[in-house]
Amino acid sequence: MRKLALLLLLAATSALGHAKLVSSEPAARAKVKSPQQIKLTFSETLEPAFSGATLTDAAGRNLPVPAAVGASAITLLPMALKPGGYTVTWHGVGHDTHRMSGSFGFTVVP
Amino acid sequence: MALIAAARGLYFLAAMLLFGGEAFAALLRARLPAIAPVKMAAPRWAAWAVALVAGCAWAGLAAMQMADALDSQVMVRSATDTLFGQLFLARMAALVLLAAVFALMRGHRLAALIAAALLVLPAATSHAAVASPAGFIAIGGTLDAVHLLTAGFWIGGLMVLALLFARKEPNILLALSLFSDWALVAVLLLVMTGMIDALQVLLGNKGAMAPPYLAVLGAKLLLVIVMLGLAAVNKFKLMPKADDRTIARNAAFELGLGAIVVLLAGALGQLQPVL
Repeated sequence: MRKLALLLLLAATSALGHAKLVSSEPAARAKVKSPQQIKLTFSETLEPAFSGATLTDAAGRNLPVPAAVGASAITLLPMALKPGGYTVTWHGVGHDTHRMSGSFGFTVVP
Repeated sequence: MALIAAARGLYFLAAMLLFGGEAFAALLRARLPAIAPVKMAAPRWAAWAVALVAGCAWAGLAAMQMADALDSQVMVRSATDTLFGQLFLARMAALVLLAAVFALMRGHRLAALIAAALLVLPAATSHAAVASPAGFIAIGGTLDAVHLLTAGFWIGGLMVLALLFARKEPNILLALSLFSDWALVAVLLLVMTGMIDALQVLLGNKGAMAPPYLAVLGAKLLLVIVMLGLAAVNKFKLMPKADDRTIARNAAFELGLGAIVVLLAGALGQLQPVL
């Protein structure tokens, strides 16, 4: 039993509880050339029916971008982005039914 | 948040009383035929109704939490397109089946089995399950299921004992001895799985622990320690003296504390462990 407990502790993920954004490509506040995809990786398996993300430009306009929700990632596939600031706004729901949300920005350079 | 925690806690409390009550009643019937069958109609139907109402409230509030809105479309999507919703539908089917068993059958075994399903199905969407190593929900889910079943046996068994005390059962000491032996195993498993869960939360996180989570966890642990103390006094001090009046008082107190612990566990499932 002690071995099992130790195994569980060693293997424990860093985010018990609610689905959190672990990383993104491009990263928050990054300066990049127009990305082919924007990928958000979460700490837990997502419920696709209630998870998603949107992309807005510096003027606050929503850009029509196809989004795919995978097991623990949301991927946006934007057309070529013009230089300027962009904001990704996301919401993710894990199997535990908790909704987490947030946003981050990045800049596209020529 | 408070509403969903209350609905979750009440659902678990009702499911535990259903499972533990039926399981211990079945055990009594098999091991101690000298004891007349326990009349459980009123508590079992009350627990069934609470499980139904609290279960539906929990599902509605969870759908609202997931979508940040609530309408019929959200309810349907939540019930059909999420793991929690699909398990909710399975639990409602189990409740209907349980009602049929209560109405048509006299035994306790099948009812205990169905009530066990009511209790363990939500374990697949618990914090322990979603935090399973390498995403294997079965590991954390199984630990949580054992935790829930053993807690259910403890609390539901105490309810059956309370019914026996109330009717002044002449063989109460035999029933107490049987419960004590089985509850000892249940409590050992309960404490072990609870410790693994707690250690995983406390040591498996990189961030600082959230004070509200720690406060509720601490209160729950404290009450469980008091319950264990009462159970130990009953088993090792009062049972050898056959002091059944004091045992009855302690068991009723233990049952009340157990109900509070389950409600606190309902809140823990809603709180974010890490800041």
